[in-house]
Amino acid sequence: MTVVSLRLPRRAAAGDRSPATASLAVARRRPPVDVLVSIGVLAVVLVWSVAPGLVTSQDPADGVPADKLLGPSAAHWFGTDHLGRDVFTRVVYGSSSSVLSALVAVAIGLLVGGLIGLIAGFIGGWVDSTLSRLVDVLLAIPGFLLAVVIVTALGFQTINAAIATGVSAVAVFARLMRAETIRTRQSVFVEAAYLQGGSATHVLTRHVLPNASRSVVALAVLQFGVSILVIASLAFLGYGDPPPASDWGLLVSAGKDYRTAPWLVYTPAVVIIATVLALNRVSRWLRKTD
Amino acid sequence: MRHLYLAYAGRRTGQAIVVVLLTYVVTFLAISVLPGDPVTSTLRNPENGFSEEEIARIVSYYGLDQPVAVQLWQALSRFLVGDLGVSMRTNLPVAQLVGAVVGSTLVLAASALAVALVLAGAIAYGAHRFPWAPGRSLLRSLPSFFLSVPTFVIGLVLIYVFAFDLGLFRVIEPDSAWATFFAALTLGVPVSAQLAEVLIAGLDHEAQQEYTSVARSRGLGEARLYLRHLLKPSSLPVVTVLALTVGELLGGAVITETIFGRTGIGSLVQRSVSTQDLPVLQAVVALAAVVFVVVNLAADLLYPLLDPRVRRVGSARSGAGVGAVGAGSAGVGSVGAGTPDGELESADVLAAFVADEQLAAVGDSAIEVPLEERVRVS
Repeated sequence: MTVVSLRLPRRAAAGDRSPATASLAVARRRPPVDVLVSIGVLAVVLVWSVAPGLVTSQDPADGVPADKLLGPSAAHWFGTDHLGRDVFTRVVYGSSSSVLSALVAVAIGLLVGGLIGLIAGFIGGWVDSTLSRLVDVLLAIPGFLLAVVIVTALGFQTINAAIATGVSAVAVFARLMRAETIRTRQSVFVEAAYLQGGSATHVLTRHVLPNASRSVVALAVLQFGVSILVIASLAFLGYGDPPPASDWGLLVSAGKDYRTAPWLVYTPAVVIIATVLALNRVSRWLRKTD
Repeated sequence: MRHLYLAYAGRRTGQAIVVVLLTYVVTFLAISVLPGDPVTSTLRNPENGFSEEEIARIVSYYGLDQPVAVQLWQALSRFLVGDLGVSMRTNLPVAQLVGAVVGSTLVLAASALAVALVLAGAIAYGAHRFPWAPGRSLLRSLPSFFLSVPTFVIGLVLIYVFAFDLGLFRVIEPDSAWATFFAALTLGVPVSAQLAEVLIAGLDHEAQQEYTSVARSRGLGEARLYLRHLLKPSSLPVVTVLALTVGELLGGAVITETIFGRTGIGSLVQRSVSTQDLPVLQAVVALAAVVFVVVNLAADLLYPLLDPRVRRVGSARSGAGVGAVGAGSAGVGSVGAGTPDGELESADVLAAFVADEQLAAVGDSAIEVPLEERVRVS
């Protein structure tokens, strides 16, 4: 969906520095306030997804019909929906499938894409050409359209939406990993490692992977946010788990039918935006800390 | 030089054709290999009311009783002559279904692109020239915010505010001018964010160049400086990003058209998904890939003509796939807008990912030759 890509780090300054110095630089640098706030937001969302029962004592599927469509108040922070269910509780319980499925998507993209990029960049030659054409193909299909097609073939479930989102992220990871691998492979310290008798495995694990990890981790965090958006969009269109599941996208989609209760749309929307914004900020910070 | 450019153009065109054909094959395999048999379940679904003869006709048309390899060969040879197949749901040729709605989506996408360009230009110029510093930094963080808002939320908020509260347009008239404008805004906002990020990074870079100081010291007005001198070099990477976002417009159209109730490719996709009409989906994906590849090919071929620095070595650009794909040996360095040691660090707040690799990809053609020479020398 979003065209996402990473800058290739500076050649001389970052590339030829050994990983140890780079991590020292991280330790020296204290995160700015907005990054701390972002990390706080993400921590809250993580608690929601792992242990929703800790945050709210109400039941996400059980409503009090007499309390239907109440606006936000102290008792119901995000108001109530048409069945009198507490929207905050539904958002909290929905975060586990919204956030954890995005995690699945990122894992698929990272593992498959990373492996493709690593093999292409490290081996080179015809292997590289073949894999690069494959990545070209994945890039040529609009990410969201690809996710829609895959989820249609697999069936409308949140986990399938996550798999589809992951597949559409493969190309981005493959591209970055390939560029990073090639960059490291050509650097002087890799040449030195080979001269000193280092094996290909040694170079791969000691030099290529650690050097690629910073940009790849930053991309993974960014892609986490993108995946949340894609999965929410798929859920909004009804391609995820059906109600009474309460994926964030599904909550917005169900809430839009009640014009007199705009909080049904705005509260889950704000949660999505805050989460993705926080992920983007952390990703940019990770990227810049070198 | 000229024949080098032609050789480059020929090679890129060949690659583009290969990518389009492969895309068709990959989509076909994804649909037929993935578990589940949506084809049969659609045909046999009593709701669709196909008679036995119709089912037999569709089965023989698609060769559904044949092995996958045969089906693929048939589908591919039909695709090569422009036959997009027959919809399983309506029994109409897919080309006819797509042709009926493509105009509406083209209008939407073109308006969205225009909105995105204007918005991106305004944000980038404001981020540099807004008279009040907090306003400038706010504008700088705007693209990042835009990229965090789901498309469907943008659309719903616009409808709530402008249709329901202000009564500017009626949701039951999705093709009215205002409704089209707000649909285009919905689709254009995420695109504008990506363009603005590249543009801001480019302006940051150009504003630090010596020629800028020279122009200022000779008394050139700020507005004129930006419009006449800084805009052109900064907007070159925008061409690349623009080409890469074309596919996104089609993906975003699925949501935008659904929300605004427009008839178009997006709502066709949405309808085909709910009825499991796979031939239509396959055709739309193939068309999207063709559009993406053609636009990116055009951008790649135009680039050496637009940027004199790339022109000199443009023909030597090798291994670059679609758009920025082949950030290969050439992409080794981080490159500002075409200058080998260009640094984008000045784009501190928004040293955004989107912007970055595009710039690197754009720049790689400019530095490829020197870099390879350096490698050879060492």
